Amino acid sequence: MSVLGIDSRREIEIRRYPMLVYVLVPLLALVLQAWLPRLVTPYVWFDFPLLITVYFAMARRSPIQGTTIGFILGLLEDALTHRPIGINGIAKSIVGFLAASVGVRIDVDNVTIRVILTFLLSLLSSATYLFVFRILLGMVLEWTWYNELFRAIGNALIVLVLFHLLDRFKIRD
Amino acid sequence: MESFFSRYRNLLVLFVLLIGQIVGLAVQVRRTADGRGVIDEKDGPGVRLIRFWAESMVVPFVGGVHYSRIGLGALWQNYIDLHNVRQQNLDLQRTVDRLRLEQASLMEDAKQGQRLQALLDFQQKYIYSTLPAQALGSSGSDQSRVFYVDKGSADGLKPDMAVVTGDGIVGKVRDVFPHTAQVLAVNDQTAGAGVILETTRIRGILRGDANGRLEIVGIMADQRIKPGEKVLTAGGDLIFPRGLPVGEVEKVVPDPDRDSHIILYLKPAAHIDRLDEVLVITSTEPRFNDQQQQDMDTSDALKAPDVAALKEQQKASQVMAERLPGLTDPNLPTDQQPQPQQLPDGAPPPPPTPTRALPALHPDRFSPGQAVQPKPTSPDATTAPHPQAKTPGTTTHAARPNDGRNQ
Repeated sequence: MSVLGIDSRREIEIRRYPMLVYVLVPLLALVLQAWLPRLVTPYVWFDFPLLITVYFAMARRSPIQGTTIGFILGLLEDALTHRPIGINGIAKSIVGFLAASVGVRIDVDNVTIRVILTFLLSLLSSATYLFVFRILLGMVLEWTWYNELFRAIGNALIVLVLFHLLDRFKIRD
Repeated sequence: MESFFSRYRNLLVLFVLLIGQIVGLAVQVRRTADGRGVIDEKDGPGVRLIRFWAESMVVPFVGGVHYSRIGLGALWQNYIDLHNVRQQNLDLQRTVDRLRLEQASLMEDAKQGQRLQALLDFQQKYIYSTLPAQALGSSGSDQSRVFYVDKGSADGLKPDMAVVTGDGIVGKVRDVFPHTAQVLAVNDQTAGAGVILETTRIRGILRGDANGRLEIVGIMADQRIKPGEKVLTAGGDLIFPRGLPVGEVEKVVPDPDRDSHIILYLKPAAHIDRLDEVLVITSTEPRFNDQQQQDMDTSDALKAPDVAALKEQQKASQVMAERLPGLTDPNLPTDQQPQPQQLPDGAPPPPPTPTRALPALHPDRFSPGQAVQPKPTSPDATTAPHPQAKTPGTTTHAARPNDGRNQ
């Protein structure tokens, strides 16, 4: 892993994508998240909006952009549920911020790092969701830790294919 | 100051967004007396607007993907795999015609039953009008088991309408948009429905657990409850009509939070996680469409000969009953005997049949049939019946035949 200063890494490895990708990919993530659970499995072991947030945050290496995309996707995800709007928004804002912050410092093109980072950020997202829901809002929510673990594992496995596909859309200099 | 903002602008953006969302959540959630946070059933205008935006942005695409999948499946089933379809279609058409008439007849019976129940002030809801809808997509979250259907307020949907399939209940309409609606599934943690066990008649509250399993809570431990018992809607929640299938008891476990209570885990009757088409119950009041009304008229016309034959049979029974001998009281005078009714076709009533008096316990010469026979005075008198012989049902003082001569 090369050791570079923050500014120099950012200047060298910031990725750019066609504008259409920034619009369609998050939209597709929301559509798949809403459609696949009814088709494939009743248990939701993946979180496409989270994966898209992590990917673009790491690729852009901008905490502000990572936070913003997490905020927007989280809000839209909340709005499709019957729960209060903002819980996923908070969780994914934090995830986007951290993914971009980490992306500045380490080589996020490495597949192993991508998988591990996604796994950890998925667990962090679940923990933040539960914290806001149960502690901050004081609402009742039953949950099981293995559901969140399986979701984190599922997300990490999807990364192996999804991020590779999304890499094909980047604009090469 | 400028360097502070530029140095920490990433954190400041995150901080502002987090604070904004926390404030937004504080507006949506209110605290109850026991310190728990709850959200209102109805969203505020701002929240509803955001939900409408998200729904407008995502659900049409989900519908497009869903219908594309259905279209591809239908392409194979409807255009390629068509063995014996024509004959099946004819058979089914005959069956439909027959069933429509039977249904019309049953609806008449149902209407009559409801009128009787209304007289008894018996409150019960019946399903009269349903609207088929396609289940499109879900919320995509385990913490919110809702799904969207392709019918909305433009189709007459309203919040709190029950959603069912032919197998059992599915959920209730939670939020309605112009062309779509959000349905809260019964296996969500916040869902609730009144249910009753079919055999033991024990009532409980249906809801979902963290894994989306159906469970019934609020039941005292009872040895009679066994796995396999069927569960029906109780009808007390004003959402689901009474008697709809919910599922059957799969497992009985003690409630960890409350002593002497149990939790019943159910196997749902409807495939809640694999829904394609559902029915929204839009009306529980008796309303018949033109087709149903026409079927009922046809049923009436077809049943008319049977009804006429039944009336004729009742009339004949009535005539037969009038001819039975027991209707004439031997102890009453003739003018007080019940008069037979005139037959409707103008025929004269049949003559009364003489009745026979019961034999006396201690017969004497005044008893009927015990009159002393006079000695014959002429040869022909021995063979001819005596004109004054008492006959049952006549007066005991007969006139003498020679009265005219003595005067």
